[in-house]
Amino acid sequence: MISLDYDETLQAAAGHQAEEIRERIMREHPGEYVLAVEGNAPTGDGGVYCTVAGRTFLDILKESAEGAKAIIAWGSCASDGCVQAASPNPTGAKPVHEIIHSHPIINVPGCPPIAEVMTGVLTYILTFDKLPELDRFGRPKMFYGQRIHDKCYRRSYFDAGQFVETWEDDGARKGWCLYKMGCRGPMTYNSCSTFKWNNGVSFPIGSGHGCIGCSENKFWDNGPFYTRLTNVPLPGVESTPDKIGKYAAVAAGVGVAAHAASYAANQGIKKAKKNRQTKKLLESDKEE
Amino acid sequence: MAKQRVVVDPVTRIEGHLRVEAMLNESGVIGDAISSGTMWRGIELILKGRDPRDAWAFCERICGVCTTVHALASVRCVENALGIRIPENANIIRNIMFLTQMVQDHVIHFYHLHALDWVDLVSALGADPSKTAALAQSVSPSWPKSSPGYFADIQKTLKKFVESGQLGLFQNAYWGHPAYKLPAEANLMAVAHYLEALNWQKEIIKIHTIFGGKNPHPNYLVGGMASTIDLQSDNAINMERLNMIRDLIKQAAVIVEQMYIPDLLAVASFYPEWTQIGGGLGNYMVYGDLPAKDISDASSFRFPPGVILNKNLSEVLAVDPTNPEEIREEVTHSWYEYPDQVASLHPWDGVTVPKYTGPKPPYSQLDETGTYSWLKSPRWKGHAVEVGPLARMLVGYAHGRDDFREVVNEALGRLNVPATALFSTLGRTAARGLETRLGIKWLQDEFDHLIGNLKGGDTLVADTSRWEPSTWPGEARGFGFTEAPRGSLGHWIHIKNEKIESYQIVVPSTWNASPKDARGQKGAYEAALVGTPMADPERPVEILRTIHSFDPCLACASHVLGPDGRKLAEVIVR
Amino acid sequence: MARRVHPINIIDVARSPHRYFRRKYVWQWPVRIFHWVNAVAVTVLFSTGLYISHPILAPAGEPFNNFVMATVRQVHFIFAFIFLINFLWRIYWFWFGNNYARSGFPFFWRRSWWKDLFRQVGDYFSLKRGHVHLGHNALAGLSYTIFVIGLGWVQIFTGLALYSESNPGGFWSKLTGWVIPLLGGSMQTHMWHHLFAWGFIVFAILHVYIVFYDGQQYKNGLVTSMISGVKFYRNGDLENDKWLS
Ligand code: HEM
Ligand code: HEM
Ligand code: SF4
Repeated sequence: MISLDYDETLQAAAGHQAEEIRERIMREHPGEYVLAVEGNAPTGDGGVYCTVAGRTFLDILKESAEGAKAIIAWGSCASDGCVQAASPNPTGAKPVHEIIHSHPIINVPGCPPIAEVMTGVLTYILTFDKLPELDRFGRPKMFYGQRIHDKCYRRSYFDAGQFVETWEDDGARKGWCLYKMGCRGPMTYNSCSTFKWNNGVSFPIGSGHGCIGCSENKFWDNGPFYTRLTNVPLPGVESTPDKIGKYAAVAAGVGVAAHAASYAANQGIKKAKKNRQTKKLLESDKEE
Repeated sequence: MAKQRVVVDPVTRIEGHLRVEAMLNESGVIGDAISSGTMWRGIELILKGRDPRDAWAFCERICGVCTTVHALASVRCVENALGIRIPENANIIRNIMFLTQMVQDHVIHFYHLHALDWVDLVSALGADPSKTAALAQSVSPSWPKSSPGYFADIQKTLKKFVESGQLGLFQNAYWGHPAYKLPAEANLMAVAHYLEALNWQKEIIKIHTIFGGKNPHPNYLVGGMASTIDLQSDNAINMERLNMIRDLIKQAAVIVEQMYIPDLLAVASFYPEWTQIGGGLGNYMVYGDLPAKDISDASSFRFPPGVILNKNLSEVLAVDPTNPEEIREEVTHSWYEYPDQVASLHPWDGVTVPKYTGPKPPYSQLDETGTYSWLKSPRWKGHAVEVGPLARMLVGYAHGRDDFREVVNEALGRLNVPATALFSTLGRTAARGLETRLGIKWLQDEFDHLIGNLKGGDTLVADTSRWEPSTWPGEARGFGFTEAPRGSLGHWIHIKNEKIESYQIVVPSTWNASPKDARGQKGAYEAALVGTPMADPERPVEILRTIHSFDPCLACASHVLGPDGRKLAEVIVR
Repeated sequence: MARRVHPINIIDVARSPHRYFRRKYVWQWPVRIFHWVNAVAVTVLFSTGLYISHPILAPAGEPFNNFVMATVRQVHFIFAFIFLINFLWRIYWFWFGNNYARSGFPFFWRRSWWKDLFRQVGDYFSLKRGHVHLGHNALAGLSYTIFVIGLGWVQIFTGLALYSESNPGGFWSKLTGWVIPLLGGSMQTHMWHHLFAWGFIVFAILHVYIVFYDGQQYKNGLVTSMISGVKFYRNGDLENDKWLS
């Protein structure tokens, strides 16, 4: 049986009565409860950027994790830091797995995750009494095993080479592929293109906007969202790979041309000299 | 009774982190109070240097509850800066999404975040199901689910729940508190509808999914919407999608008119004294929203803009958020620092430099004379003002708009109270319901309007002429606003060389939950708490009633103020 | 009295080349095969790669009988594997070929290598016909090491990692999947793969020019040497290759 006992947004109790519940669970069920963390801990300046009951979230998280059987990091905030950890990360926000190292952590990223995925992970643990198999990023393989792109219903347009070019063109109305509008489907592992959202009504691509990759690590810093490639992280300058590449190729071309020109000029001078010399020789031959 | 300090932290059933400290006087009445946002995330710093077209996605994540409003304000401020006029259909779609959000949010607020302040869940166990059925039929004759069997089942579920000792989310609340006045039957009815509303709320937001791909956090687009309309395509907004929207609106109308409003009036009639408590500032401000065609035409707004001071309904003052003289933010009691000791700044010049000077955690008490919040103190021409449904209803009413007058007068008549009853905790809660009635009506109107446009052959949803950054001016400033469920929301942007130079957000809950300003004027929460009698300081349900009547959203307020380890949920595995 | 200087006369050379030039079989067939397969593969990979990134041919009609993007990607992958096998083949031949097959290796621990490197740079800039090599000179070797071997590895690993994305946990994913988290995610992997693709273009421009320049300057038959395998040299030239051993 699942019992959701402590959730600040929903619970009836408030104030220290609310905190009491948390403490009681920890006392009475050590090693039995699953701690599901939403949000993340700002670690900057000793954690003052988020406090509950006068204590830092960081503190409470560490304390609650102690007796947990496993920790579910629900959502991108908990599993990779999400928007508040985007550069320059002013509050020093850190995902759960960077704070707690002693317990198994299941990352369920997404901003937010699909509701069915969240319940799926939890009920899997309860029904089969084991933790789900995780991928390289600590995500359950059963829901994050494949890219959006590989299951996207617009994939046939991708393979055909038919792409939306502007938000109001014919392709956009016919539902062509959003690759050129910056769709992150090819880089994103999630179940959106199969489960869809809100009981299967639609999903971002289905409603005409590209995927922004919200279940991928540090997706906020992979922008701009409407270009396919992220910028090259050069300090100070902002450039796309193509821009840098073109500059480099042009520089090489100019260098080569300059060298060729000076070589040609040099050859010309040499030739003239040689001609003069030959002429002189011939003349001296004659003189002899 | 000695002076006493009551601390509520966390204030639950809100989004984000809020702490309230109330100082009781000798007679057990709140003499002074402070509200503190206890979290800060620094979204504004994160936005600097990014592509303005991406900003909506960042802003949208400020809050997980009223998810769309920040995205809306954000695309509007970028469009304003770049001089983009969105197509009429895009405006309608945004209005529909706005209203969907508002209706859903208000119903959730009433049943899931607020009702438990008025409804004693445990006493519902003693209710008689057939009497409950009779009550339900009398308050809402056409609502179908009102048989004695239905209520008996609900009661059984509840009983099992309580007996197993597993109250779950309902543990440890203030059950049995003398401030609960509803008869057991009304409590049982409310519990039943708590569950109904929980089921319904995930239906209505499918409208967001249709246009924005998902909820929470549907997609917006600078220049319009990405959801193309093509009645001849199965890959765009077409007849199937439109039918679904029409049905969802119809369903919502039933929920609101036959369940929410009757329940609201029924509960209100048991708590007449709360029309005298919690009035607070008496100053109200509305930026306005729901343009007919174009956001720059304020005269076409369904929510008219304006300011009311000192409860004076005979005069509505004009408000201009882009005027640097009108809206200024102070940080006297906040954990921020302004350059050169300036007292206040307009958001276009705003800076967000955190400087924590509060007590070192863990702490048990904040200092009301020092700094105590992650919220700034915004002021309109120096006045502290309240924003939100009550402000909107009052401004619309004071403007003399028929649709507003009709719903307000009808409700006042039903409860048999004068218009001054609106200036109260209960007035705030009622205004939310009345606004929802308008919202449902307008949803229908907007939908019909969309169909009308489609009949005329106009299917355009996005203006892409200014999509490419190369078409932008070198430098531009913009202001975007909306009336979020919790009140007026403003985004101010400064774009330079195709990038965000600065971004400032002033959210509704910052207006309402703001700490005191330099002149000692309290924020709306603080002012509303003063004068509230407390029956049992150990179980401060009265504080929750007033605070919840504002529907606090500290996630938003603390974007600025800083909420975001949003919550910590624990689940027991047995 | 003036001394007679006899410039090389093209007619004399044609009449009796052995008086002036000697032939030497330098590039064995595996090197030549590698070279041209590599050159073709890189050209195809770059152009298909760029197309993948900016697909511009939008075919008309329904998608079921159009496969433009799919085909371009398929070609990219086929040539990627050709590139890879060819690449490994050349590495194998590094050990089993002749000495010239090893001449491109950067012997950076040898002083003579550094000396040759700087001398070569100086010669190219001063436009002199300075010292001469039969194998690769140090500068050429360095450029192949950086631009072909180094970039080659980068493109192979990032490319295979991207390739493995559609089947996480599969063979390629186990082999190269770790690259993605190492670079900070798929977006970063795409970005680097794309950026370094341009490295081949920069290399090709410099390389082809230098080959033609070098051939012209040294009269060593360099341009055709990658076809025939034969380079020419004059008496005395060979001494300059000593840094190799
Ligand atoms: C000289 C070598 C190569 C060059 C110049 C090259 C170039 C490129 C370029 C420019 C792209 C477009 C990148 C983007 O914008 O996302 C690309 C994509 C790609 N390349 Fe390569 N590549 C090379 C080798 C390889 C190799 C060895 C593989 C291994 C299989 C490979 C696999 C891929 C894959 C999987 C993609 C992504 C295709 C997609 O996203 O649909 N590449 N390549
Ligand atoms: C018309 C085009 C080209 C010609 C005539 C040409 C000719 C040559 C010649 C003569 C050499 C030997 C130079 C030396 O002694 O150092 C060489 C080596 C090499 N070239 Fe090219 N090349 C061409 C294009 C390319 C291209 C496009 C690439 C690949 C990007 C390439 C990659 C290499 C490599 C890797 C070597 C070293 C060979 C080894 O040691 O195995 N070449 N090329
Ligand atoms: S819309 Fe996005 S996920 Fe779908 S096929 Fe195109 S690129 Fe892939």
